[in-house]
Formats: sequence, C-alpha cells, structure tokens
Amino acid sequence: MAAGAMSVSAGLAVSGLRRAFAALRLPPAQGLVPIPAPRGLSLSAPLGTTDPAWKCRVKYTVRPVGMKKTGGRDHTGRIRVRGIGGGHKRRYRMIDFQRLRYEEGAPPEPFTEKVINVRYDPCRSADIALVAGGNRKRWIIATENMQPGDMIKNSPHIGRMAVLANEGDAYPLGALPVGTLICNLESHPGKGAQYIRAAGTCGVLLRKVNGTAIVQLPSKRHMQVLETCVATVGRVSNVDHNKRVIGKAGRNRWLGKRPHTGLWHRKGGWAGRKIKPLPPMKSYVNLPRIAAQE
Amino acid sequence: LFPGVRQAQWLTKTKLVEGLPPAVLNIVNDPAHHLEGLEERVKHAISHARFWDTMEPAPRREHYCPVLFEHLIHLCRLMFERYPSPTKRMSARNYKIAATWEEVKSILLQVRGLNGVLMNSVAPIPPVASKEEIVATEEHVLETFYPICPTIDLQEVNVYRELNDTGKSSCFRDGYPYSHPHTLFFLESANIRPNRFRPEQLRAKMLMFAFGNALAKAKVLYGNDPKVLEHPVVVQSVGTDGQLFQFMVFQLNTTDLVSNDGIKNLVWIDSDQNLYEKAQCVPEIKKRVVTKPVGIYGFQPDTFKKFLALYLHGTV
Repeated sequence: MAAGAMSVSAGLAVSGLRRAFAALRLPPAQGLVPIPAPRGLSLSAPLGTTDPAWKCRVKYTVRPVGMKKTGGRDHTGRIRVRGIGGGHKRRYRMIDFQRLRYEEGAPPEPFTEKVINVRYDPCRSADIALVAGGNRKRWIIATENMQPGDMIKNSPHIGRMAVLANEGDAYPLGALPVGTLICNLESHPGKGAQYIRAAGTCGVLLRKVNGTAIVQLPSKRHMQVLETCVATVGRVSNVDHNKRVIGKAGRNRWLGKRPHTGLWHRKGGWAGRKIKPLPPMKSYVNLPRIAAQE
Repeated sequence: LFPGVRQAQWLTKTKLVEGLPPAVLNIVNDPAHHLEGLEERVKHAISHARFWDTMEPAPRREHYCPVLFEHLIHLCRLMFERYPSPTKRMSARNYKIAATWEEVKSILLQVRGLNGVLMNSVAPIPPVASKEEIVATEEHVLETFYPICPTIDLQEVNVYRELNDTGKSSCFRDGYPYSHPHTLFFLESANIRPNRFRPEQLRAKMLMFAFGNALAKAKVLYGNDPKVLEHPVVVQSVGTDGQLFQFMVFQLNTTDLVSNDGIKNLVWIDSDQNLYEKAQCVPEIKKRVVTKPVGIYGFQPDTFKKFLALYLHGTV
C-alpha cells in the first residue's frame, strides 16, 4: 500500500517537473531550420528570426544568419535611438575581423589565402570577400581592388626591413613602410579590427616610434598603437559610396531609416561649422613607459 | 565552391577524359543493337512519365523522375534478352555504401551514404583503358589547389569503425552470384531546385560514389593494402534529374592513394546530355491561339543510346 502511494506521488512529481520544463522552454523561433533533407543538409538559412539570441552564435559559419531588427529600441522596449525602423530584411554574414586567426592545429606563421568571391553586404557600407585557405573559408572586408582569384598574405612577423606590401595583405604595423594606406586597424594586438572599416576609408601610417606606431584615422585624429597590431593594406572597397545619390525618400526607408521630425527648431550654439585644433593623440599603449622614465 | 569534379579528382587521384570511352561508343554506334521502334518506345516512356501518370495537370519531379527511370531500365532489359543468360543483372535500391581510404598527410577519408540504385552483374566489366594509357597517367600531375586544402568543405566526422563493406548485405563478397558492381544510378528528384544538386555537383557525387564502390570491391578482391591493381575495376554511373543525363565510366587502377605520384585512376565523363528539351504538359496559348501543343520537344535519341550502351557494356 505504502509502495503504491509512493509510486503515485513519484509519478505526480515527474509530471509536475515536465510541465515546468515545458513552460521554461522558449517557443521555437519561427522559420527555424526546416526538417533536414535526406542528405542531412539544410541548404539556406531562414530569412529572419524572432529569436533575441541570434547574436549569441558561437561557432563560425560562412552561411548567412537570420537577424532580428531592433527598430531603435533597447532592452526596456522604449526607443533609444530615433529614426531607425523598417527596411529590407537582412541576413548577417559573420565577418572575421581578426585577420591573423589561425586554424585549429595550424602553426602561427605567415599563410596565404585565396579570394573566392567579392559581394555586397547588406549590413555595412563596404563589400565583403569570401576567402579560403587551408581547410576553412571566412568572410573579410574587401579592399579596393580585390578580385576573385587574388592571393592574400597574412603574416605576424616584423622584420628589420619594411615589407613591400600588396593591397589586401595583412601585416603588423611595425612591418609596413611609413606612409602606407591601411584599413581594418586594431587598437590592441589580437583584438580584431575595430577602426577604419567603412567604405572607401583609409588611414595613413605616420611614423614608428620605439615599439609603437602612429596612425592617422580618416577623421584626421592621430592614434598611437603597439606595432604588433595587425592592419590590412589598402583602402576599403566600394570607394564611391559617398558619391551615391539616394534619389527618393523610399530608398531611405528601404535602408531602415525613418523620417526626421518636420517641426522647425531654431538652431542654437550646437549648429554650424566649427573650426578647432585637432584633439590630442589617442594612445592605446599602456603605461610602463612612464615607469621606465622614472 | 569549386567545380566539384576537380576536387573529387584530387581526392580520388583520378585523371579526367572528356567523352565516353571508345568501347562504349562502339556499342552506341553498332546498328545490331537497335530495336525497331526504339525511339517510339522511348518517347512513349517520356510521355508516360511526364504527362499521363497523374491526376494533376503536371506530375512533380519526385514522381516523374523514378517513373522515367524504371521505364528506361525496362527498355534496356528488353534489349538485353537477346544476350545469353550468364550475364545477368540485379539491382538494389536504397543502397548503402561505406568505403574508407587514407589520403596524403594521413587524413582518413570516407565515402558513406545512401546511394541511389546500384546494379550488379555476374561478371565484371573488362578494363576500358589499355595498358599504355594506364602507364601514361603516371606523368599526369594532379592539380593543386594552393592555398586551399582539397579537403575543404568536407564534413568532419568522428569515425569509430572503419567500414569497408556495402551495408549489411555486403554483396560484394564472393559467395553471392551478382558480385560485381556494374552501374550506379542517381536520381535527383527533389521538387525544389535548391534541394537538387547542380550538374557539376552531381558529377562530383557520381565520381565519389563510383570510386567508393570500386574501392570496396577492390579491397574485397585484393585485400586492404594499398597497391596498383593488375586488373583494374571498372564501375559506371549515370546521374539524372529527369531531363539532363550525366554518364560516367570510372576505372580504378590503383588503391595507393597516400602518394600523389604514380599511376592514377581514370574517369570518362559525358556530361549534360539532354534527353528532351522541353515536355509541354499544358498547351501554351497566346491570344486564344495554341502556339505550342502538348508534347515533347527536342527529343534526342542519342542520349538513350548512350544509356543503353552503358547498360550493355560488359556483355557485348
């Protein structure tokens, strides 16, 4: 009798747990991966998701990933940035900004890759290039004259003499001659490119000072970084991006920009052209320098 | 990503020759094999598969592709009855193949999966290339894909057992009467175009599976050690999506795939043979006048002759 009662209560407890898990389980995002074809491959990613965790994908993939648009809203749900919303659906292609990323099991030495394809990316102004080397493919930001079939070199070595760099190659700043045009600059070695990524932009390597290099950004600001930071040589692709004419209001809406308010405001001191000296050089180099001086 | 055939060639150490081998072409051109009214029968088969077999206005590809295939095989078998019975055929559906081999730089490669239809025969197909051609392949250099490894885009799988047989039946063992792989048929019959393979990808798949079958048979016959075969194993393969046919004859000369030099395997590919240009199911009407009545347009009998020749190859 007691055993019977225990089994009944155990059964109730198990069913209770299952119901709780069912509530916890997130509703599947619409348009998730369809039932795999007999070959076990699903051939194209869904066009968009409602899954708020779409950004959390850990494994790198070349295939485009469905994005969820924010509409300018932050995590509370209120509009944080005005003028964003609507526009054509976009799929995100995972771009590898760290050029010197080695494959698993590959030694840290210079390697070449081949450009397979250069295409438009809906998520940024520059074009992206699919490059393949060794056993993997990845997307990178294309430079100005990149054509399918080019070979690109990535090297971490800094030699005594500066390297004659071809466009599209990635070298540390210490290996490049002074005066080269660079793009996709990192502020700290190994961090991944965060500067000079927009269409048609380029920075100039101004001078190299003991272990650091000074670069002029497109805003004419000077930036001091360690010379082991990697940058690619050349200007970013899609050079005529700023010369395009939008043409009509609808095209702006396709890009996801909502109209400004039409109310006339009297402009105050914030408006108008300002002429002021360059801000001081931004240094991303850490401070043991000062300790050495003392 | 790449023309898949080039990558498949590198992986299987194969040299490509365009067009079908002369032995098969001889069978194509030999008038003794022509049944009377063969063209009529083939057109009848296509019409049945594409027009008559369904209640809807037009049957879908996953329906008409296998039906057409069955018809063509039936026609081949009718031709075949003239020949003596020791050369019989057997076909297997939903057939699984698994073959393993070791590549340069000790990477284990495997061909696995559900095949289309495999046809086995009692006697093996005699080698198609002569000895001189085989020796000549030694000088042929496999193309490099620098800086890309040829194993790019292959699925990485944890292999717990190296399988070398052909499913549970393992029908390549000696006790079985139909013990030689003869021809593989691949039917691309998915309805949506992205689910079907493109012609180059289909050819690459045909090459890899033909190689897998040949390798499995060679290992059964000659053992597991990699070496050059004195009697090369020949496997044919046909791939289609109901309209476009790809024909391929693969000859395995060597199982020594670790090194990149030496004797290579050979493959003859005849690609993109249309059986018919268009099969109009519903009459095309412009301004209330029928411009294109229902029927088959652009029928090419040569494609079926090649199909038949591949079927008969080895017995003639």
